[in-house]
Amino acid sequence: MEQEKIVTPEIPAADEAERTVEEISAAVDAELSEARASRSDPDHPVASYIPESAKPDVHEEHEVGEGMTKKEAMRIRMKSMNKSEIAYLRRRRIFDKAWPVFRFLILFGLAFVILTPLLFMLSYGFRERQDMNDPTVIWIPRHLTLKIMKQTISAMGLNSDTNNPLVNTVILNLGCSICQVVTCAITGYGFARFKFKGRNLLFGIVILMILVPTQIISIPLYMTFRFFLFGHVNLIDKMMVMYLPALMANGIRAGLMIFIFRQFFRGLPKELEDAAYLDGCGPFKTFIKVMVPNAGSSFLTVFLFSIVWYWNDFYVTSSFFMNKRTISLQLKNLDGLLNIEIFNNANANISAREKIVWFEAACLISITPMLILYACLQKHFTEGIERSGLVG
Amino acid sequence: MKLPYERRKALYGYGFIAVWLVGTILWFLIPLAESLCYCFMDNDKLKPQKGGMNKEWLPFKDGEWLKNFRYAFRVDPHFKQNLLSVLKDTLYQTPMILIFSLFIAVILNQKFKGRGFARAIFFLPVIIATGPVYNIINGNIASTGADSGAQFSTLFETDMVDQLLEFLGVMNISDKLSEVINTVTTNIFGLVWSSGIQILIFLAALQNIPVSAKEAASMEGATAWEYFWKITLPYVSPMILANFIYTVIDSFTKTDNPVMRLVLEKQSDWNYAYAAAMAWSYFAIVMVVVGIIVVFVNKFIFYEVD
Repeated sequence: MEQEKIVTPEIPAADEAERTVEEISAAVDAELSEARASRSDPDHPVASYIPESAKPDVHEEHEVGEGMTKKEAMRIRMKSMNKSEIAYLRRRRIFDKAWPVFRFLILFGLAFVILTPLLFMLSYGFRERQDMNDPTVIWIPRHLTLKIMKQTISAMGLNSDTNNPLVNTVILNLGCSICQVVTCAITGYGFARFKFKGRNLLFGIVILMILVPTQIISIPLYMTFRFFLFGHVNLIDKMMVMYLPALMANGIRAGLMIFIFRQFFRGLPKELEDAAYLDGCGPFKTFIKVMVPNAGSSFLTVFLFSIVWYWNDFYVTSSFFMNKRTISLQLKNLDGLLNIEIFNNANANISAREKIVWFEAACLISITPMLILYACLQKHFTEGIERSGLVG
Repeated sequence: MKLPYERRKALYGYGFIAVWLVGTILWFLIPLAESLCYCFMDNDKLKPQKGGMNKEWLPFKDGEWLKNFRYAFRVDPHFKQNLLSVLKDTLYQTPMILIFSLFIAVILNQKFKGRGFARAIFFLPVIIATGPVYNIINGNIASTGADSGAQFSTLFETDMVDQLLEFLGVMNISDKLSEVINTVTTNIFGLVWSSGIQILIFLAALQNIPVSAKEAASMEGATAWEYFWKITLPYVSPMILANFIYTVIDSFTKTDNPVMRLVLEKQSDWNYAYAAAMAWSYFAIVMVVVGIIVVFVNKFIFYEVD
């Protein structure tokens, strides 16, 4: 009802006049009969108001929409409303005005909380360390420099030719993510579309994979890899140690990925496959020719998340890699690295407060690739999950 | 030989999951069982040696086999304390994260200028919060030095809040309330940074609310408040449960929570049996708590039946 009143000015005049006349006449009838009933009571609001306003009201309503401002139209309309309706409208108007302001304040404040660390990195990563002791410097550095960045890069070994953390991380990331997405998709499809004995039990294991923290199984897993194939092969410090589980849908957060894929494939219409079967496609061919092309956005989302998780992981890599360096491992061990490279120099005399400069620089270096990825593919990160059927 | 259609389909099903099944047995189930066995082995003899772990079971007589658990709960000075603090933290932080992320999701679902940009910012923690960067910027890594942490917390601990609370305290608002407000305001950093995925999931659920429900509500003249309680909440309630589970699992498997830190400490001290016993009892307790809450919450959830 309320909604309608606000909208009416935009409706073509003829249409609206018709309706309002009907409405108003009905309302006037009701009010008049009420007024007649309460005529004996002169204090009754209706009794005092009906005689002069009942008829003109109808005329005025006719004029609404004929080049009137919204405000005037509203004022006229409000004459025919009762008190609670007017109060409701007033409340609503105040809310509609105030809410965007509040919303802006809330979002701005929280966005600031999220962005502060990033601004911090930008601000701290490019300044000389003596700026840390300068009380006049808060956000904008006095001495802009790339020196700290360069030092951090060399401390993290990002410019070394052998065992370069960046190269290691990229190879590991891409390889594992591709393997994992493919195998998890196949597994998820198997769980989504085929009925077989023990399916619920096996899917229970998938849930268990999501629930059990890696810390519980890391030691036995280490022993498995250390003495692989009955002790003949030592896989520790080899890339294989990450590739093997990823190849068999058991990498980092594989359970969650299988779950997402299963939900997604369950949401696709069954007719798609039935048509393919009728045309003589086998299940594997159907999967590749019919289902995969339909799951493009879902694949991309899971792939992106997989890359992010592998990029950020330091626990699994730190338990299996002794000498191999990845970016997040270097970041985790940054203190020791910086000690060797820079801080142990007795002449430097660096205070704890000054060290922050290097840490922030390292953080900036290690998240920049992810930020670029996010900036380019932000739509797929956020909208892919909605379409991937995680919900429902 | 021709198999019936159903049988053939079942076989294909096994074919699809075969790779995963082999991998899971090798890299998940066997290590899991082994670590469960570690709980009942002699801690002093459980050391890696040539060809594998040197395993020796604890003698199976009068409670001797529970020695590692007894160590965890009776002898170790920190375990019980840390366990309680983690449980307490998780229990009061989870509802906060859920309410906060639902609130933000509802806001981000409205139409306004710059919505895409706002969404991009709020999902940013999803990318960063799982990595070591978060620990550094949160000031929690010991190696960073306390300074960095102190800097960040002073940024968000404005004196305004304290003064306001003092003022309210004069007005006889109970200390409990001011305590709650205080924890929320000082935790806002952690709150915002740990609810990225939750916001994402809620937002997806909000967009799945059928248009017909929205139309019906606006026809009936529902206010925003009524709309939230009668339409939004029932429709997103299944996702509240999912988010609850996700939040709990996420917070208790974090490497920087006190129990996990203790477990890792024990592992690096070669006390594998103690570490396994602690990790398993922790896991069991959390699972029981989650199970109870899930069963309880499930009664209040609205499932749309197709």
